[in-house]
Amino acid sequence: MRWATRSGCHVDRSACAWLIRRFVDPDATFVFVDDPDEVTDDVTPFDMPGVDLSHHGADCTFETMLRRYQLDDPALWDVARIVHEADLADDHFDAPEAIGLDVICRGLSMVRDDVEVLAVAAALFDGLYEYRHRALLLGRDPA
Amino acid sequence: MAGVQDWVLLAYRMPREPSSPRITVWRRLRKLGAVQIVDGLVALPADARTKEQLEWVADLALEAGGDASVWIARLSSARQERELAARMAAEVAEAYQAVVDEVAELRARPDAIQQRTLGRLRRELRRIAQRDYFPPAVRSEAVAGVAGLAEMVGASP
Repeated sequence: MRWATRSGCHVDRSACAWLIRRFVDPDATFVFVDDPDEVTDDVTPFDMPGVDLSHHGADCTFETMLRRYQLDDPALWDVARIVHEADLADDHFDAPEAIGLDVICRGLSMVRDDVEVLAVAAALFDGLYEYRHRALLLGRDPA
Repeated sequence: MAGVQDWVLLAYRMPREPSSPRITVWRRLRKLGAVQIVDGLVALPADARTKEQLEWVADLALEAGGDASVWIARLSSARQERELAARMAAEVAEAYQAVVDEVAELRARPDAIQQRTLGRLRRELRRIAQRDYFPPAVRSEAVAGVAGLAEMVGASP
């Protein structure tokens, strides 16, 4: 499947792309657009104003995706809380990791194009997910 | 003379009830430091982040059954632009001043300074920075004040 999002990927879009490839559509390819009107019928848009896979109510797009695809893995929801705060910083959750993640993603997009950002971010989110996964199993932060 | 920078504007209108989406919108705008131009029209200096954040707020208003549109605009008067920037700087200056005042109080009774207090002040500085687009002079005083406290905490047993 082909997926479309806005260019200049920041934390929410990078996290969603990782989520799509890892949990929804392993063969996903991504196109980057500057305007929602550039999205054609054969692609699924996400994290753009006015589309279904986007912010809804208090949710950022990553949270919307977890709901839409019924991904109820608690480690993913832990990642979602961090992504939410890194994206919106609205103090909805206590996620001290968010400040660092926000800066890392912003810096990344200054030195890499969108395709490369998604590749680097995928490794980042693999690690974050694994960390939260182990933390849940242990009942404390892993060493 | 015209203004020198682009601004992103959100024009919006929301139903009075239910009130919770209105409150969410109001909180988001406040957190972003958006300045109100007139009722239902707020502005921020335009960059990729502020434009995107206001687009999300617009979506919130639309989902709640209201109207919303996001604009990129430039003031035709440089003087009005300076006044707008000064108004925004004054708002954050007040918040920085509160930090400066608290630092002064804490320095007066050093045994009351705890790591926890320091953490809270640092978080407060970060929150102010998120809505600080025209850093006022008092900003550096607040930052230096909190850094000074950190040294005192580090020095105490």
